[in-house]
Amino acid sequence: MIVNAELYVKDLPGQLVGSLEPISMVDGNIMGVVHDREQIVNHRISLNVTFEVEDATQLRRLEDIWKSRDIIISSIGSVYSTFSMEYLLIGRITASYIERLMEEASQAVTVDSVDIQYSSKNHDEKRTAMISVKVREENDLDTLDRFLRSACREGAITYIRGL
Amino acid sequence: MRIFIAGFGTVGQGLAEVLDSREIFFKKRYGDNVKIVGVMDSKTYVTDPEGLAPMDLVSRKAETKRVGSRTYTDALEVLDSVDYDILVEVSPTNYETGGQGLKNIVHALECGKDVITTNKGPLAIKFGDLIALARRNRCKLKFEGSVGGAMPIINLCHDNLVGEKIQSIRGILNGTCNYILSKMDSGQPFEQALKEAQQLGYAEADPTGDVGGYDSACKVVILANSVFGRNVTFSDVSITGITGITEEAIALAKSRNMVVRLIGEVTDTKLEVAPRLVPRGHPLAVTGTLNAAQILSDLAGPITITGRGAGRLETASAILSDLISVLDDREE
Repeated sequence: MIVNAELYVKDLPGQLVGSLEPISMVDGNIMGVVHDREQIVNHRISLNVTFEVEDATQLRRLEDIWKSRDIIISSIGSVYSTFSMEYLLIGRITASYIERLMEEASQAVTVDSVDIQYSSKNHDEKRTAMISVKVREENDLDTLDRFLRSACREGAITYIRGL
Repeated sequence: MRIFIAGFGTVGQGLAEVLDSREIFFKKRYGDNVKIVGVMDSKTYVTDPEGLAPMDLVSRKAETKRVGSRTYTDALEVLDSVDYDILVEVSPTNYETGGQGLKNIVHALECGKDVITTNKGPLAIKFGDLIALARRNRCKLKFEGSVGGAMPIINLCHDNLVGEKIQSIRGILNGTCNYILSKMDSGQPFEQALKEAQQLGYAEADPTGDVGGYDSACKVVILANSVFGRNVTFSDVSITGITGITEEAIALAKSRNMVVRLIGEVTDTKLEVAPRLVPRGHPLAVTGTLNAAQILSDLAGPITITGRGAGRLETASAILSDLISVLDDREE
């Protein structure tokens, strides 16, 4: 899930790192930080951070850590879940083909992020693309599955998806 | 109770061994009533209304490659030649027509006999018709060993989860493919892993039924019809086998802490056999020839079972549970 939080931290050296470090402690991923020194309330500086955590349990753990460090959570908003899926495509594929395919896919569903990794070509010119996709709606995974399955059938590509 | 065994290959012989080893159990539970009165393999047969000694049958088969001294051309005539109550149909599977196994099952049910089978072909092709025929003639048709060998998936769903709404079943239903994919996990190419599976007797000389996903598809059909109450056949399953999987793909999955497994999936709307990416540590990321299945039900949530999917005694164990169920019902 992707979360946006408004924090207030003490105006002391090390406070910025001290407020971001807990996100890594819950295996979260920081996506953006705005450190606003102009907005000071009760000797505290505003910090707006957007990050991704696995689930609500991890988010609660993070909130507990922040509270234990005397970091004030002013608001937690713009929270939305993402649904991830991995795909393996095996065949005579090129990077440009896969990128074009994912561009077409992003017109059919709201894709939050795409990560693609390739193997080197083997003796029969086949290679593998591992695609990790995050979407906003669970139904989008079904739509994406249908799209990729159909494209792979047309291109004689072996298609493997996650569970 | 008089049993006729049709098919005396690995599973049939395993059943004979199990019946012999459970002799005291059967005597205590049912008296002297349980006996084998007839057995046939692909060419020969032997019958005795007074009962046949199970281990003599196994020894004769091992020594002569034949279970009986009399040959036959019409299996149904052999079935009619002796009075029996339960047919155990364990002849080789024919995925296309159901083969002789289908004819044997239909004939036995038409004659009012209970049937226990591990033969996937007839069930995948004519499940609805066979169930209807069994109901019409008030016979039992049991088939636990047809899916997952010793893994008790069908009876678990029918008996223990009878009040639940089962939402999905997905699992590894073919031990041969799982063996090959497990070997590929450690870097072996597909062809080499397949050859090893053949040398160890896990894969047939023609492995198409396994690696093409057809064996798993038969099991998916059986689960869909028997657990989900659907009326589907083999041709309704979307099937992708494992032949297109390269060692590079396996390595790439491994770099993300995942493995590839051939998964059969059944829901109210889905029937699929396909290779899938499974996170390491997931209950379905089993290795070797094991089968595993995850049943998702509305009240109990996910239930995972795992067990040996094939083998002489493992499959005989599933037949034994069906046999006891039929015998118990007859006792009541």
